[in-house]
Amino acid sequence: MKYISNEKAQELNDIAYQIRKRSIEMVSYAGWGHVGGSLSQAEILASLYFHALKIDPKEPDKEDRDYYILSKAHTSPALYATLAIKGFYPMENIYKYCRLDGLDGHTDALEVPGIDSTGGSLGIGLSYSVGIALGLKMKEAFKQRVYCLIGDGETNEGQVWEAAMSASHYGLHNLIAVIDYNKVMAKGFVKDLMSIDPLADKWRAFGWNVIEVDGHDVRELCEAFYKAKYLPVNGKPTCIIAHTVKGKGVEECEFNYNWHTHAPSYKKAQEFLEALSRYYHKDEEGFDKIRKSPIEGDLISVIGGEYDEVL
Amino acid sequence: MMKFYKEELREVFGKTLAKLGEKYENMVVLDADLNTSTRTVLFKDKFPDRFVQCGIAEANQFGIAAGLAKIGYITIPSTFAAFAARKSTDQVYMHICLQKLNVKIPGSYCGMTATECGASHNTAEDIAIMRALPNMRVVAPGDNRELESVMEKMMEYDGPVYYRIPKVNTPILFNEDYQFEWGKGVTLKEGQDITLIGTGMMTGVCLKAAVLLDKEGISAEVIHMPSIKPIDKDLIIKTARKTGCILTIENGRIFGGFGSAVAEVTSKEYPVLIDMMGIEDETFKSAPLPQLMKAYHLTPEDMVEKARKLVKEKK
Repeated sequence: MKYISNEKAQELNDIAYQIRKRSIEMVSYAGWGHVGGSLSQAEILASLYFHALKIDPKEPDKEDRDYYILSKAHTSPALYATLAIKGFYPMENIYKYCRLDGLDGHTDALEVPGIDSTGGSLGIGLSYSVGIALGLKMKEAFKQRVYCLIGDGETNEGQVWEAAMSASHYGLHNLIAVIDYNKVMAKGFVKDLMSIDPLADKWRAFGWNVIEVDGHDVRELCEAFYKAKYLPVNGKPTCIIAHTVKGKGVEECEFNYNWHTHAPSYKKAQEFLEALSRYYHKDEEGFDKIRKSPIEGDLISVIGGEYDEVL
Repeated sequence: MMKFYKEELREVFGKTLAKLGEKYENMVVLDADLNTSTRTVLFKDKFPDRFVQCGIAEANQFGIAAGLAKIGYITIPSTFAAFAARKSTDQVYMHICLQKLNVKIPGSYCGMTATECGASHNTAEDIAIMRALPNMRVVAPGDNRELESVMEKMMEYDGPVYYRIPKVNTPILFNEDYQFEWGKGVTLKEGQDITLIGTGMMTGVCLKAAVLLDKEGISAEVIHMPSIKPIDKDLIIKTARKTGCILTIENGRIFGGFGSAVAEVTSKEYPVLIDMMGIEDETFKSAPLPQLMKAYHLTPEDMVEKARKLVKEKK
């Protein structure tokens, strides 16, 4: 459906809230993770996993499914939370984030049901998505789509543009790239470190359809996914540029590169969840179940010894 | 009781860059959106005109570093070891190695010290890759003082250098007068029954293992080998003659890595029993450092077990 109902929009927004909440809990409990970039994509994930994507949590490897490739794989918390909500695995698993028997810090296709690509090194996801899209075309699997979420800073990587060039060269209309355009990188604003503007012009110049949306508006996102799926009879792949806010939902994190990669302490995470519930006008209490894992220590705890007081 | 530095090694990296920047006006540091993590921010704040932000684009970063070096700058293209060794290998090879350019490549968060980042960032193969490239010197400093000295010496040397900067608090191996020397290892403890050779941050494991082995009546010689290429062939042969068996340890994959470098020497010059600790056909996954060291069997206790076996086999 091109336009979603009010009920559907409400449902997707509720899910986005859950995604944000669980991302914060996950990262805080693990003592590691990327908060800002996880929070900016909550509506994108809700719109994909609970509307646009053709997937089945009971059959993650079903042959006729759609593919979702997280190229900005450091924002794994948001995706892991989404997959848990969708039912790919129990929610309990999120408390094993960044542990050997649990969910990897960056996506791991061999370990986690529902994850189709192993990531972490930026710039590689779109090429991989091109491969899947090309393969689907060769197999004449015309109903399936491939979606790839790319970070804005990530488009600094040359490989993204190699992939973009090849996607339009091969007429991969079944490929949909989404740019989480949250304006902020790890150590500063994109425009200050390595500017990517004019972004839409670049994608058009590379032969893609471009749709720009408010990345936090589930209606605009769903409409864009509909158009990307059903309208490009011109044989072009589509790039949806989602204008988002890094750290969206938690005031302190918004537009703030200090929360790119920084695990909030138990106390701070509590503040974040309260800020989040204020943002959503939800009468929700903070978390009491989640505790921070015991501090694991460093090389010194394995070898034994003491820190020199002076050096 | 082994002493450890309170200050992280990466902090010393940043501070030393800033200090060297005063002496070398033609020094330029390049970053790929990691400067507060790698600590090159300390150079950036002091010499903003000689700091080039390349964004998340490491292949380009290394090309730029090479071009700058071509016209007389000494360049430091700083990124995580993962991206220096893997993403930019061809740029390192083509521009920097083949032309012997004056580029000093730091590999930050090397080995398993990217910890929770997992396999994408934990770089077990950087020693092997960099070692295999022609004209590239490879160094894994063991403590804060050694890193300072390595950096001073690398600026004096005219040519490509790759040096590892794990994200860790190292043991204190040396005093403030210590001077690093190219192609030279350091015997930290004499012994008769077995030689434990460590590189980088893993020498601390050797020292603790030696203490534990001593209690069992096994006398272990401990050598720290920061200079992986060129490697101290003479010292390796000397210790091989002395103890007759060698156990190496590295923060990485053994295939083509440090242990292999040592084995290349002994198998050609003076074959002895040798075993290598490090990971094999696997990757360092996501976990805090102590969990990783235990899971991948890189603790002093693991070293003691392997040492016992080797000594027994020798007899």
